[in-house]
Amino acid sequence: MKSCMGKILVVDLTAGTTAVEKIPEEVYEKVLSGKGLGAWYLYKNIPVGADLMGPDNILGFCSGALTGTGAFMTGRFTGVCKSPLTGGWGDANCGGVFSPAIKQCGYDAIFFKGVSEKPVYLYCDNSKAEIRDASEYWGLDATEAEARLQADCKTKKKPCVALIGQAGEKMSLISGICNEGGRIAARSGVGAVMGSKKLKAVVLAGSKPMPCADREKVMALSRELGRKINKMTLPSHIGASLALGGAGMGMMPSMPLDGSITSLIFREWGTPSNTPMAIMSGDGPLKNWGAGPAEAKGVKMALAYNPDKINKIETVKYHCYSCPLGCGGKLDIRKIKEAENEFPETHKPEYETIQAFGPLCINDDLDSILYLNELLNRAGMDSISAGNTVAWAIECYENGILTKEQTDGLELTWGNADAIIELTKKMIARDGFGNDLADGVKRAAAKYGGEEFAMHVGGQEPGMHDARNDAQLGVHFVAEPAPGKHTIGMAIQYGAMSLCDICSWAPPATMHSKAEDLEPTEKNAMISKANAAYSMLVDGAGGCYYGEMMGVHMWKLIDYLNAAAGWNYGGDHYMDIGVRIQTIRQMFNIKHGYMPADVKLPGRMAGEPALKTGPLKGITLKNREQVAMQWKAFGWDEKTGEPLPKTIRELGIDKLMEV
Amino acid sequence: MKAKTVPSFKYNNCVNCGICVQACPVSAIDMTRVGKNGKYANVFPELVDYDGCIGCRMCVSSCPMACIDMAAFYREQ
Repeated sequence: MKSCMGKILVVDLTAGTTAVEKIPEEVYEKVLSGKGLGAWYLYKNIPVGADLMGPDNILGFCSGALTGTGAFMTGRFTGVCKSPLTGGWGDANCGGVFSPAIKQCGYDAIFFKGVSEKPVYLYCDNSKAEIRDASEYWGLDATEAEARLQADCKTKKKPCVALIGQAGEKMSLISGICNEGGRIAARSGVGAVMGSKKLKAVVLAGSKPMPCADREKVMALSRELGRKINKMTLPSHIGASLALGGAGMGMMPSMPLDGSITSLIFREWGTPSNTPMAIMSGDGPLKNWGAGPAEAKGVKMALAYNPDKINKIETVKYHCYSCPLGCGGKLDIRKIKEAENEFPETHKPEYETIQAFGPLCINDDLDSILYLNELLNRAGMDSISAGNTVAWAIECYENGILTKEQTDGLELTWGNADAIIELTKKMIARDGFGNDLADGVKRAAAKYGGEEFAMHVGGQEPGMHDARNDAQLGVHFVAEPAPGKHTIGMAIQYGAMSLCDICSWAPPATMHSKAEDLEPTEKNAMISKANAAYSMLVDGAGGCYYGEMMGVHMWKLIDYLNAAAGWNYGGDHYMDIGVRIQTIRQMFNIKHGYMPADVKLPGRMAGEPALKTGPLKGITLKNREQVAMQWKAFGWDEKTGEPLPKTIRELGIDKLMEV
Repeated sequence: MKAKTVPSFKYNNCVNCGICVQACPVSAIDMTRVGKNGKYANVFPELVDYDGCIGCRMCVSSCPMACIDMAAFYREQ
């Protein structure tokens, strides 16, 4: 593939060796790079029964097939491993600047196996790859360690660093991998695997050119997109109206969405724009997924999280590598009381973080969220999983399942921002009660009880979007090989993407009817399949979810891939690549005994019992039937979720695994 | 002192994507110039190491928005 380097670096931390391996062209043809390359490599190389925290688990850092070609919104790297949180397939991706840095060292991915006896980091540039002592950086938070490593390793090229904070070092199962002072590949416990290997950081200072078959064509596509985005703007100070919009969305029987509208909103506010809309529409979970807006101070919450308040303290926008949109930002937080000058600035908190520590915990204190955001980013802890776990603890405390003695004296009541901060600090430090929560909600509930309040899917806490509002999301929460992820697909998103214009079998995109979404129909199963396949394709390219949401006519992924790779394939061919990647990830789960049929939505999330008030009132999902139909659409067994031999053969996966 | 050919940025079309910064093999440019892109406060690329720049044009060829040219400058400029 002419946009890839054709090589990977394999580091054995037990032996202290590095080796370069060539990747056959057939692999790129079948699964691209990124998550696809990672799935292929891990399926082949992690043995059955591999200890999740042992030398046989492999941690990979995968760049994307389009990264560095000039294609916009293709700068994400994917961390892959066998997930210690679920026991099955694990991955998490992240923006920042690390993805091109992998390629600039001459590789499409770097894989780590083995376990080091002492803390180490990998240093890599154009000519060498060295395992170096990291004792002096171990114990530092991710932001501080990154700055020191950049200074200490500086040659001509400023190094890019991916690393763990204290949470990863302490092998918290809800820890991630950080870069750029607060961007984090947070999900699946990828940080815990890095910590188990005693690998503090990966420092990359290469400057090799990144190849591309037809750079002029790629640049032309990017120019077209860049000009559109540069013209996008909204009036300032209209953030409060988003709550009204959300309330309207909650009442409507069907939902329109256009990718350009999403881009416009994200350019103005970033993902915090979603908070007031989500609170009022039913998209955002409230009170540990257990209440409607009226019972959970919805209006007060929606006003508290007006994104204009965040824009007011934004000093500059932040763009990941190759992104013209810039949904991120740097915030001045010196004046908030919680920070007390401890932290001068923080990345703009994502919607997921705000929702998980705000409305999910009935916490309306924006300052506490800004502080927690920086705390979690530095520690490298997943804010989705951590927020869900804190909300569980609060509900248990309110219901007498947890006592003040058990919580180390913390008054874990709804909306107690000080207690939420203290508990989060204890989780990061694995201190006392916090130690029992640092491995996520499933394990915490197994120890203390309150399973009915523990919101996880197959062991992983779900992203902050309610399946009762968008039943397709519930299908992906369960059917996705790394369950609980919110970035695979939604019905509302499908309407904006126009996948039917690139894929012959993708159903036509219409305004989605909420009532129709609830039914287990062939059409819904094909929508779900198309969403998942395209999502895998995007991840193989190193693309961004917000590029995906723009739709195929604005962010022209198929044209980008053909131009960059020197290919001339149609959309169906590329969607097959997505199906193949998803199937290999599912095969990984089967191989390692993580059985898809055992993965279920928590009763509360499935609407059992249904909420009595609010936009989600009376909704109960037919999730199990819908998941079975999606599996069938993929060519997997509809009862077990196991990919059928015929499907594996038709996708050429059997032969690919012999390469 | 002689002038040296280094990157010159035209910010009108810049979309702040940072591709040029990563393309530079010697980190002579960085996203450090604070300015406005439309109404938004943003950071733009600029030459931060005049002496370090090797004039390779990697930044020029990397920019999708065609915002970078090479031009002769004295260090003081």
